[in-house]
Amino acid sequence: MDVIVCVKKVPDTAEADVSVDAGGREINKERLTFAINEWDNYAVEEAIRLKEEDEGTVTVVTVGGKDKEDILRRSLAMGADKAIRVDMEDPEDSFVLANVLCTLIKDQKFDLVFFGAQSGDFNSGVTGAMVARMLGISHAAMVNGVEVLDGSIKASRELEGGLNEIYEIKLPALFTIQTGINEPRYVSISGIRKARKKPLDVMTPEDVGVTEVKPMLSLEKMYLPPPGKIAEIIGGSPEEAAAKLASLLKEKGAF
Amino acid sequence: MMEVEEGNFDEAYDVYACMQCGKCTGSCAVSLRSDLNIRELMRIAILNKNEDLEKHEEIWDCTSCGICTVRCPRDLKPAEVIIGMRSSLVEGGTIPVTVRDALESVGTNNNPWGRPKSKRAEWLEDLDVKVKNISEGEEAEYLLYIGCTASYDPRIQSVSRAAINVLTKLGVDFGILGEEEPCCGSEPRMMGETGLFEMLVEDNLTLFDEFGISKIITLSPHAYNTFVNDYPECAKRLKEDDVEIPDIELEVKHYTQFLEELIDDGRLDGEMMNEFSGTVIYHDPCYLGKRNNIFEPPRKILNIIPGARCIEFDRREDRSLCCEGGGGRMWAEGTGTGERNAIIRVNDANQDGANVIAVACPFCLSTLEDAHVTAGYEETMRVMDIFEILDEVLK
Repeated sequence: MDVIVCVKKVPDTAEADVSVDAGGREINKERLTFAINEWDNYAVEEAIRLKEEDEGTVTVVTVGGKDKEDILRRSLAMGADKAIRVDMEDPEDSFVLANVLCTLIKDQKFDLVFFGAQSGDFNSGVTGAMVARMLGISHAAMVNGVEVLDGSIKASRELEGGLNEIYEIKLPALFTIQTGINEPRYVSISGIRKARKKPLDVMTPEDVGVTEVKPMLSLEKMYLPPPGKIAEIIGGSPEEAAAKLASLLKEKGAF
Repeated sequence: MMEVEEGNFDEAYDVYACMQCGKCTGSCAVSLRSDLNIRELMRIAILNKNEDLEKHEEIWDCTSCGICTVRCPRDLKPAEVIIGMRSSLVEGGTIPVTVRDALESVGTNNNPWGRPKSKRAEWLEDLDVKVKNISEGEEAEYLLYIGCTASYDPRIQSVSRAAINVLTKLGVDFGILGEEEPCCGSEPRMMGETGLFEMLVEDNLTLFDEFGISKIITLSPHAYNTFVNDYPECAKRLKEDDVEIPDIELEVKHYTQFLEELIDDGRLDGEMMNEFSGTVIYHDPCYLGKRNNIFEPPRKILNIIPGARCIEFDRREDRSLCCEGGGGRMWAEGTGTGERNAIIRVNDANQDGANVIAVACPFCLSTLEDAHVTAGYEETMRVMDIFEILDEVLK
């Protein structure tokens, strides 16, 4: 099974203070840390597990500047065989990105393409589905389990309300991978060092043969949601805050 | 400490000298409540049968207290063998997820707590005194190295603030590194992430050199131990591998050693303090005691506090009962069942008539604080870092 995994580097915004820059279309990135998108990490692990179970290759792909290479090196250290970075500015939207990835992937040898189900920055969750459509292959989104059969593959998809549905899908196919499908392995620093010898190809959009497409979306403005009028931040020492909270709950009729 | 490839445990740790006497297992702080059996692991190392280490989940139960190494009659280092075994698991990638997340966080956030680097200095916000920040170009004789746990854990942050208050009152010329302070690497090393530890040693020595730091006071015995014992050895090894490392001699003291010097120089005495009311029992942290034979300084400080009635645990100094906070155990619950050592410890303290347990280590503070609440001593006993006691009594 030859698997291509598309990965993206995203900021960790779980606890960081996120602010919008002066231009109003971008967040301030100086004090943020960046890492491989969480969903993509599960996708890489799943591809490597398929390879370890059977045989085949795993190729990881990303689009962006040289600063994105660390997530490729990390994936190589996890067990991927080869990496490709398309050297260009971050695409304006998912459609432009999907166009680049489709152009690259269609010339590669593959049975499966994996994406993370979504990315931790914009959470659009559409790039994978777009690439499947552009490649004209079957796809399944939010996949939380795969089983290789002869010439096809069984994919379990997570639905709302805790339901799963299982499909048998003909190869080649594209899956967007949900977190929890596996437990990604740890990648040690010395593992990353040792993986330096593995091939990492850098291609320009021209090398790939990308034709220019217009973005379908343009970002007008970015802003933090204004604080709600009902919300109240209770300050003071834990004792004072607890007393205040208790009296508020009493006042509002909670008990 | 060397990287252990499969099949060279015998060479790496000289384990053939092991006579399987079992003193290590007999001494082990967790063997009573865990499957951890160091004699068995030593046997595996001797036979180089380390291919099935994944099955030995209890390898992650070790608190790295070091007592097995202290008591080994053949001068072997069983505690290091366990680190080597963890290292081989780390390289294979199959490790407890909580340990994995902690190590990944050191790589991305420079702390094992999964907290953003940009919030490392948040504990400073409630502080009234001005502190020099060496990373912003301010000069100071000493770097006060806070460490990850005392930077992020809300309970332990109080020790960091107490340290600032006390050192300021005593007129010590010190500064901190604020958000730029790095992880010392002690816990990653104990969790077996050798490569990450080497990277931290290289980066941190370069950082200390860049800011002209040569004298360090640490809050944590773990940071103290790694700066004093692991850094020089690691730096030497890196240099042999042609890694460029600045040639700096660090003078590192745990804060209790530093304060002892102030007492000896007449710069700190009981006259400077208000009366303290309480019976104080001191809990020796493994990384000061067993690993570094530092027993006297914390006791000397407590003994000059007016009103403090100092008593001792039966199990003290190099026999002190490990609190189970070290060796990565903050991020690995362990397979053990039954009573936690920390609970045993607070019960002992209660039985001995103490109403204050004095500690000198962030992990001990964390585990004993938790245990004294769980055991129902919240109203009758306090767990305090020595810096917190001093902050309370200093005029």
